[in-house]
Amino acid sequence: MNILTVEHVSKHYAGHTALDDVSLAVPKGSVYGLLGPNGAGKTTLIRIINRITAPDAGGVRFGDRELRPEDVYRIGYLPEERGLYKKMKVGEQALFFARLKGLSRREATQRLKHWFEKFGIQEWWNKKVEELSKGMAQKVQFIVTVLHEPELLIFDEPFSGFDPINANLLKEEILALRDKGATIIFSTHNMSSVEEICDHITLINRSKNILSGNVDEIRRCHGANIFELDYRGDEAALRARLAACCEVMESTPSVTGYHTLKLHVGSDAEVRGVIAAANEAVELRSFREVIPSMNDIFIRAVNGTL
Amino acid sequence: MSNISLIIGREFNERVRKKSFIITTLLMPVLMIALMVAPALIMEYSHGEQKRIAVIDRSGLVAGALESDETIRFETVDLDVEAARDSLKEYFGVLHIGAGILDDPADLRLYANASTSLMLEGKITSQIEHILETEKLKRYEIEDLPRIMEEVKTTVKMRTFRNDKEEDEQNNSSPVVATALGYILGFMLYMFLLLYGSIVMQSVIEEKNNRVLEVMVSSVRPFDLMMGKILGVACVAVLQILIWSVLICLVGAVVLPQLMPADVLAGAEAVRQGAAAATVEGVDPQLLQAVAAMTDLGYILKIFGCLVLFIFGGFLLYSAMFAAVGSAVDNVQDAQQLQTPVTLPIILALFMMLAVINDPNSPVAFWFSIIPLTSPIVMMARIPYDIPMWEIGLSLVILYASFAAMVWVAAKIYRVGIFMYGKKPSFKELWKWMRYRY
Repeated sequence: MNILTVEHVSKHYAGHTALDDVSLAVPKGSVYGLLGPNGAGKTTLIRIINRITAPDAGGVRFGDRELRPEDVYRIGYLPEERGLYKKMKVGEQALFFARLKGLSRREATQRLKHWFEKFGIQEWWNKKVEELSKGMAQKVQFIVTVLHEPELLIFDEPFSGFDPINANLLKEEILALRDKGATIIFSTHNMSSVEEICDHITLINRSKNILSGNVDEIRRCHGANIFELDYRGDEAALRARLAACCEVMESTPSVTGYHTLKLHVGSDAEVRGVIAAANEAVELRSFREVIPSMNDIFIRAVNGTL
Repeated sequence: MSNISLIIGREFNERVRKKSFIITTLLMPVLMIALMVAPALIMEYSHGEQKRIAVIDRSGLVAGALESDETIRFETVDLDVEAARDSLKEYFGVLHIGAGILDDPADLRLYANASTSLMLEGKITSQIEHILETEKLKRYEIEDLPRIMEEVKTTVKMRTFRNDKEEDEQNNSSPVVATALGYILGFMLYMFLLLYGSIVMQSVIEEKNNRVLEVMVSSVRPFDLMMGKILGVACVAVLQILIWSVLICLVGAVVLPQLMPADVLAGAEAVRQGAAAATVEGVDPQLLQAVAAMTDLGYILKIFGCLVLFIFGGFLLYSAMFAAVGSAVDNVQDAQQLQTPVTLPIILALFMMLAVINDPNSPVAFWFSIIPLTSPIVMMARIPYDIPMWEIGLSLVILYASFAAMVWVAAKIYRVGIFMYGKKPSFKELWKWMRYRY
């Protein structure tokens, strides 16, 4: 079941098109990556989902009905640029935002204490936001975003400004939220984090949805039957053997004594033959499919060479 | 608790808890009083050193009658003019009175060693005029002249009454009190509108730059956000006025009676009770009326009631515009140009107020106190003059109605503006935003 469906959404600003007929569906309980180069229209899409701006055409469905104003209470939004009052104390501010999201003062205080403890930042409660570093402020903002336990969480570049330790902490918290039943949409440029935590992605480029789907499937689909083979032995003999059943793309001599050969195999059916041929010619050490990284797919998709 | 009240609460607490608010609130009255009292004190103590003027009196009539005071000391010298001008450098100047001064009033010269002032020259000429007048009178050889002169001297004191008021309502019509209060109230309105209006504007700009709005708008309607801010800041303004009015009431009701002589107070009490004929020996009835008004709690409360209503209404109207301007720009510098149409009416109103105080019942005064953009300041300056209640009522109704209309327009600009970054919009673009559909 999809918790959020974006249907043929277009948005034009004076002089340029921010979104052009974009559709996507976010399955409930998934971690959904919204990828795309700068200026592709991700933030506009997020703002439309948050009802900050309205689309010129198309619509957004929340669950099985049209997205309504009161649904924003069920959405938590962490904007890319952190929005906190600089002069306000951390605790007070968190309380203020929590109550705006409909929590009672008592409930909000209780939950905040819990989260502050979890992140080890209890001593910040009476500090002003301007005294915090960017990463610290971001932690506070993260807590504020998830505090009212919304069904749908939208993070715009959540990892920017975090050191690896805190980025990891955040990653774990995001996955924990997913395990508790929340659905997470996040936009990012950081492709390794996409591979690690996203189930589904949509790639937006130049206002259009150019690639959508399950991360593993996408990677496999775009694998393009490239394999790597490590061996010890006579390269010429190996090449001669392989020439019949596949195409050798490049060869990398290795210092450890094993050489690597990159192959393009015509179809899955021929993989067996290739292994057999190689096995006869050289001492075969390993044979593996090269699954492209999201980074490769991203670059190829954006450049139009996918 | 609804979101708008949460926002009002935040805006209010944020500002009221600031040290600067507490300091301004307490220091402002002191400063105001200091501003009023300081010029008088400076005048009192700053006449500087006494100016010595050497007098060469060829007529022999004037020098003896010239009276020195703390600013000027006349010293008769027996030198001719040229010698005196050359040698008497330690004097402020040499005053030469011609022999025929009585018949030729132009035969009078002052050779000064430094620049003179109008006041100094006036003091010298008026003394000499008085002396010469007396001399001329003496020519008629009237018997017993000094006594007659003493008897003839008259100073009138006038008390003013309003024909459309009952005897016991006569107390407030002192024009001195009304003028002074009119000025003070008009300036207060002016100050509040500009000050608190730009507070709203700055805080909108700050929220926009912090990207706080992005977080807020997903849970609060932009209209609530804007109204919450305006009302929150308005509450701060009202609180400040309430504190001041309590202070002033205390001064009026407790401190002033302590300071005033008992007979003045009794007279003031009599004036208040409607004894219009009440006078106190040796006290100017104007002063009596002033004291009566200032110690009359009812009068003070009426003024402050109106003050709060007009400041609130005027502030709401203007801050809606300031909020719209703030939402449209990225920083305070960019706001300069856009806020001109907002500050212009405030300044116009201030100038109108100065004109209105001289003639509070003129058509100009009436219309400018009805037109919403200028009405708070102009009307506030007229209120001490006891103008008809229906005018105040009408002005308030129009003010609050135009506030509602202005908020509607401002909210539209605000809604678009808070998510527009970068280019500073032109008025044409603002007009387009107003008609944006969401």
